[in-house]
Amino acid sequence: MRRGIWIALGATAGVGGMLVFSKRASAASTVSPPSGTSLPTIDLAPLPRAGDVKGDLSTNWGNTPVDLRPLFMLIEETSRIKGAGRLLSAFASRESSYVTTAQNGNAAAEQDERDDSRTAYTNNKGRNPPLRYGEEAAAFGSGGLFGQLAPYFLWTGVPELGKNAPLLDAPPSLMFQPRAAGFAAAVYLQRLLTQYRVDDHADLKVGWANPGLLGKGRGSAKYQEVRARFLEDAKKVGIDLADTATIPTKLDTSAWPGVAAVFAGLVGELPRELV
Amino acid sequence: MTVDLRCYGDDIQAAAAMLPDFELRSPAETASWYLREWQILAEALGFAQQLAAAPRAVPTTADPATAMSLAGLAAFERALRAGRPGVSESQARVQSAAIEAMAAGGAARGELWRVTIDPTTLPTGACFAEGGRSLRAFYPDTAPGYFRDGWSGPPPRAESACGWETPLVLHLGTFPWVYSSRLGDVGPGMRWTSTATQPALEGLQAVASLMEPATNLRQDARQVAAIYRHFIAHTAPLVAALPGFEAGRPVAGRLYRRGRYLYVHQGSLHVAGLDGPRGHLAATAYNYILRRFAVFFAVRRAAVRALPGLAGDVQRAARSSADPCLRQQAEEVTRAS
Repeated sequence: MRRGIWIALGATAGVGGMLVFSKRASAASTVSPPSGTSLPTIDLAPLPRAGDVKGDLSTNWGNTPVDLRPLFMLIEETSRIKGAGRLLSAFASRESSYVTTAQNGNAAAEQDERDDSRTAYTNNKGRNPPLRYGEEAAAFGSGGLFGQLAPYFLWTGVPELGKNAPLLDAPPSLMFQPRAAGFAAAVYLQRLLTQYRVDDHADLKVGWANPGLLGKGRGSAKYQEVRARFLEDAKKVGIDLADTATIPTKLDTSAWPGVAAVFAGLVGELPRELV
Repeated sequence: MTVDLRCYGDDIQAAAAMLPDFELRSPAETASWYLREWQILAEALGFAQQLAAAPRAVPTTADPATAMSLAGLAAFERALRAGRPGVSESQARVQSAAIEAMAAGGAARGELWRVTIDPTTLPTGACFAEGGRSLRAFYPDTAPGYFRDGWSGPPPRAESACGWETPLVLHLGTFPWVYSSRLGDVGPGMRWTSTATQPALEGLQAVASLMEPATNLRQDARQVAAIYRHFIAHTAPLVAALPGFEAGRPVAGRLYRRGRYLYVHQGSLHVAGLDGPRGHLAATAYNYILRRFAVFFAVRRAAVRALPGLAGDVQRAARSSADPCLRQQAEEVTRAS
């Protein structure tokens, strides 16, 4: 999920003409704050462990790192979207190679990523609640386990919670905390499933790259390209998309507990000064 | 009494000291120690859920170490069956037979940690058939690596049907990281599973048995010490270059030294790793391997101290061991008792 994404998540706006697709995140190092600013460092609870989840961590995970499986499963259990964990693992393999602090936008050659987050911020700040670190988000690019574009990451949950969305006062580097990235991924997944026509799992990845491709762009060369690449990714990771025991044919959001509950289940509470 | 492993060197004493000491004569203490070690092992290899669900009480044995091994191996087997086969049935059968033969021979020689055999002496030749071709069932592990320098060994005495030109070497003590190289995030031995045959289970059985006092005492600790020193010599410079972990303001995603282990803050140990002249070493592999050495020497320390209470044949084996350190320790504890 990179450019032109999180459009629906941002509530109302679309970002036209931003059809650029995933490349692997470039760096495992954390981002340095823009010069002259002092961003707070937030450290959430550690990664969940096997004992923190109930779901099966052995079947149909392929090469998903063993110590990240509980996080994917916790996203699935908290969002109550069965099958979400393994699909998000396949997404993460493409977006970050499972590097939780991957970032697109911190390298000199990644000006385009910074341009995209700048555009996302500029085009949508008027119709979304203000971000405390909006300028930093605009300059950030995208990153984290799921390759989230910084402004949209921070606006996660706005359609449901408005100005009470939980990340509005957080710095963009919060996406390097896997629990926060997982929260945003769960919300975006639910939005895709409920707001767009999603015919199959590959469509979800298309929406992850750019939801516009699920509408007017459906059937385009880019649409086909993203689908094909996702199917290759899943195969490479070793996740069988046809295994309906672990990934239902249609993901069901009817038990979605709401953004606040998903936030509480995955992230818990942010430091008081950021709420 | 205090059992001193400095006969093998101060570094070996330090390796044992990485783990808390325990008293084998205390069933509760022993059960607690083994449970924790199996939980850590299972977490690294991905069968923590199965272990948590496994029954702890084994009616046929009163020995907590053995009971924990049985529970751990049963849990591992369940996890293997839930996963996808990593090798063909024909390869798995050959692997299984080879590991069984090598483990039996290695244990008898006191060299179970690293087993070596002329593959052409095995009934299968360590070869399996696939697509009309005869292929090696294991990787020929002769390049310089983290467990030993390059070693081509004596060539097979007979001609190999699948091209073996070196001995077959497996480091069962650090299963599933059984080769001196290929120390990625998933040990090669984890793929040793087919629909019907589980060579991986036999690999972990070797690990489990080395944790049990009787097999531990029969293992020549000098072999383990030599491999440990080689591993440390080639990893210490890489580890020393990492920042030390300090509670307070850790950086997400960064790989740290924490105690003697590696730690990634808010990231995956399977993704992080060390890169040196001997190749890539995944952080999870490093931690697991280091712990296997620590466990071996910690069990050795406890087993020697408890020797007078162990079975007669185990005591005799210790007293007549080819390892002069063990002979000396056995005499000392016998005198003290």
